[in-house]
Amino acid sequence: MSALDLSLREQAAEIAAGDCDPADLLDETLARIEQRNPALNAVVETFPEHSREMLAAAPNGPLHGVPIVIKDEWPLPWRAQRFGAAELLEPTTPGESGPYRALRDAGAVIVGVGNMHELGAGSTGNVSVYGPARNPWNTERCPGGSSSGPASAVAGRLVAGAVGADGLGSIRFPAAYCGLTGLKPTFDRSAMDGHHMAPVTTLIVSGPLCADAADCRLLGSALHGEELAAGDASGLRIGVVRDVVSEDVTADVREACDAAIETLRAETGGEVQEISLPDLELSALAAILIINAESLNGTTPQQFNHLHPDISPLNRGVMKYRLLLPAAAIVQAQRVRTLMRRRLAALFEEVDVIAWPTIPAPAPPLESPVVEIPSGIHSADQANVRGAALANLTGIPAISAPVGFSGEGLPIALQLQAAWGRDELLLDAAEVLERGNERRWVESRPPLAEAEPTEV
Amino acid sequence: MSAPDQAANFIPAGLASLGIEADEVELAVISGAHQVFWPGIQQLLALDTRDVEPERNPDLSKAP
Repeated sequence: MSALDLSLREQAAEIAAGDCDPADLLDETLARIEQRNPALNAVVETFPEHSREMLAAAPNGPLHGVPIVIKDEWPLPWRAQRFGAAELLEPTTPGESGPYRALRDAGAVIVGVGNMHELGAGSTGNVSVYGPARNPWNTERCPGGSSSGPASAVAGRLVAGAVGADGLGSIRFPAAYCGLTGLKPTFDRSAMDGHHMAPVTTLIVSGPLCADAADCRLLGSALHGEELAAGDASGLRIGVVRDVVSEDVTADVREACDAAIETLRAETGGEVQEISLPDLELSALAAILIINAESLNGTTPQQFNHLHPDISPLNRGVMKYRLLLPAAAIVQAQRVRTLMRRRLAALFEEVDVIAWPTIPAPAPPLESPVVEIPSGIHSADQANVRGAALANLTGIPAISAPVGFSGEGLPIALQLQAAWGRDELLLDAAEVLERGNERRWVESRPPLAEAEPTEV
Repeated sequence: MSAPDQAANFIPAGLASLGIEADEVELAVISGAHQVFWPGIQQLLALDTRDVEPERNPDLSKAP
């Protein structure tokens, strides 16, 4: 098997042991991107000379020589981020971002920039100035957004790990749609410098997208700037909420997630408790209002009269609508944030994790990103955000782990959320879940990504 | 006045007051977004949060 098809940690271990030449691995990765990317549009730019320079200067860190894709959301020293759009309201410039430095200092090699949903404003990935990224499980389906390219790249095995960003679920949605594991860290715990929203955001974080939790632990440790040590999830107290986030989902999703929760309980020798968490839908709206207000970020109304014509009409309209949001609602959204933070703090005295489906329905078609769930047909964005926004609103960490497939062969995922700073516990729990289902979901690969030798 | 009628007045007036131009497609998007979000915004505004002590300068990386 090509080293390309190893896990992230196996690639790192083989390089460290001298069993894999990182220069060969880089060449193989570039060749595979050339071979597979036309079907996926996951990677929007490669820069072999810069990647080789990174490798030549790479320290012997935990990711020495390992190729990584980074979302088009941070600048690199040789490239300004485009945020999946024709133009941002404020110009961006090349530079050293926090995630770049974190990867460089860990010895990783940035091999390409991942596609993303335009302006980060969507859970599907079907809108981008580069054209949509595609889901390796079915290239006519959405890969999830906004970290669409990073997820598609890892699921298509162009690379074993990628860096995404999550402001309202943007790591967890694509992880779920593409059958990966994605960690949304505790707010402010992972590298964010250089992101054009970093000075103002109270929701967005960087995080890893990988095949499984152990790889997320390795890449996440680099982004966190500290080791996310493995611990013990035994006796796990799992909270479940009987609300739209767990009940207004497809039958496939509900069945797979219920089974996964039971597996997690059994494997940890823990317990499942039904808990109450009112106002979940209002908390999602609160997060939407806050992120939209923060996105204004010092812009003036006049700037909105000169939007680039290649920004999608949808986003041009949404950007202008932001200016009409009532200030009273933004203030009230902050009150709801406080309310939910206090409720969660109390709940996390009773349970260790809160579990519900990451997504209410599997990946919808790229051409029509709507989902049919018990309450009716909704845009995927509207349905998805209900279960994701709480973690961003309150700052808690969350992880999405694959737990099955729909009847159409599309991935299904369970989300676990924990108290502030307990990112490690989420990784521990996800690893227990993987073992409990004999790693069948984390080791499943779409047909186009079946392991194969790659000639260089 | 129905919600769409209210939006038909509120949106052009709001944009005009800020000096923002919008073409027909953008106006349709804004109207659609308004119809999606406005009921929730009204619900949010009606939520009684008088007992919620504000969190001053919250550190979102930690419990309140």
